[in-house]
Amino acid sequence: MTALVRSELQKLFTTRLWWIMLIVMLLFTGISLGFLIGFAGVEGAQGAPTLPGRDTLEFQRSAWTAGAGSSIFVMVLGIIMMTSEYRYQTITTTFLATPRRGRVVAAKLLAGLLVGVLFGVAALLLTAAAVIPSVLIAGGELALTDGGIPRIMLGVVATSALYTLFGIGLGALVRNQIAAVVGAIVWVFVIESLLTAIPALQEVGKFTPSGAAQSLIAVQADTGFGQADLLPSWAGASVLVAYALLFALVASLTTVRRDIT
Amino acid sequence: MTAIEIRNLSKAFGPVRAVDDVSFSVESGTVTGYLGPNGAGKTTTLRCLLGLVTADSGTALVDGRPYTALERPLAEVGAVLEATSFHPGRTARDHLRVICTAAGLPVSRADEALEQVGLADSAGKRVAGFSLGMRQRLALGTATLGHPRVLILDEPANGLDPAGIEWLRGFLRSLAHEQGVAVLVSSHVLSEVQQTVDNVVIIARGRLVHQGSLAELTGNGDRPVRVHAADAARLAPVLEAKGARVEQPQPGVLRVHGVGAETVGQAVLDEGVLVTELVRERSDLQEIFMELTREK
Repeated sequence: MTALVRSELQKLFTTRLWWIMLIVMLLFTGISLGFLIGFAGVEGAQGAPTLPGRDTLEFQRSAWTAGAGSSIFVMVLGIIMMTSEYRYQTITTTFLATPRRGRVVAAKLLAGLLVGVLFGVAALLLTAAAVIPSVLIAGGELALTDGGIPRIMLGVVATSALYTLFGIGLGALVRNQIAAVVGAIVWVFVIESLLTAIPALQEVGKFTPSGAAQSLIAVQADTGFGQADLLPSWAGASVLVAYALLFALVASLTTVRRDIT
Repeated sequence: MTAIEIRNLSKAFGPVRAVDDVSFSVESGTVTGYLGPNGAGKTTTLRCLLGLVTADSGTALVDGRPYTALERPLAEVGAVLEATSFHPGRTARDHLRVICTAAGLPVSRADEALEQVGLADSAGKRVAGFSLGMRQRLALGTATLGHPRVLILDEPANGLDPAGIEWLRGFLRSLAHEQGVAVLVSSHVLSEVQQTVDNVVIIARGRLVHQGSLAELTGNGDRPVRVHAADAARLAPVLEAKGARVEQPQPGVLRVHGVGAETVGQAVLDEGVLVTELVRERSDLQEIFMELTREK
């Protein structure tokens, strides 16, 4: 099994996609951080600051969540890990080397989990590089091991890992690369955004992957509609794990039975 | 030793019976040609054999076991299916290394295999820049990574230039006849494999139409004698009197069926006709093949 996971990682790291995705993800995270730091403590039209000042714990909390916003990129990475095998018909060679297909799916999911963690950690490193200096320059007290920060960090990494799994599962189900990527974008940017932002829909929205992930990183973001209705973080974590298992199951069932023609 | 055994294999895709009750076997140390027109069911048979497609009924065994039950499949069976099954952004060497890792083979095999198929100079190049012939060579390199005792190739000559085809023939023959590998090679062009194969299995519309040695196949055909003579018209009635069936495909040329070359030669001598060519026609394999696989 270790050999199969290594082979899957080799597949990813011998093509260019992974570092393009990494750069895009870091850019996206960087832009969010830039806004957060740039507008921190700046007074809005009503005179009160719209974002907490750089010397506050609230600022640090929201800044550390920046990496979670880029989950779409690891999801696309997961989709491509799976669908490129079908697109380029390398799935044939893969199954010839490992005819027990369940093992291939398991190896892909494990490799995806590792890559997701790697991307999550990369996002955290970028965040650290931006947040720590800004807090220190502003004269605030740096919180890294308390104030709920470790849980947020863990949440960012877990979200990243699980979204990679979602991508792999979706890719196994849909197989068509373009359709799967478009589906993921529509889901994340339209359906999930609406379900988690509109209060009337939050009853459903908190059970979506992004809703559950938000409960994990405890983003108490005011979207203009008041505080979001979220699950407790333990329930959010359970929902995410349930999604991951569901997608793993979908990936296995659809892959193991299909004829490869 | 029987290396590949296919027994009563059937597979339908919707209403199409792609493979219909096909049985044949391939012995170690021989090259078997699996022939049939496009869409006859060759690829489906091979994919059933390799566990990629699930057969509706029947069995397909390699060394007595289904492919999916093999412990180290690449060390037992090598397969070349499509020339396009590579990620274009990956280099040839990386492509092979990924497979070595998955199959538990030493990564040093990647460079050895590239050397063997004549791609050592392109090892570090992305497959996107490869010609069809180079892809076929890489596919063959992939198939031989694990030093398999059974080699299965689906239309491997597609995209190869004449020199490449010649190289492929030598490669397959040496594997089979010197190293005892069982080779099963499919093609829709009989003449392409004619010089390579020991046995042929012919399939048409999903059903087996012939299995046996190449000699048996040609033995079935009538071999007419072709005579080129300016005064061919004078020769024809004489031959017919000796019981031959004579056709005249063009002026000055006769095709004589039903009698031997000696009888024809005697007639020529008796009549004193000037002959510019007298030859026993080589039985046209392509014609026999067409006849066997024709839509009925």
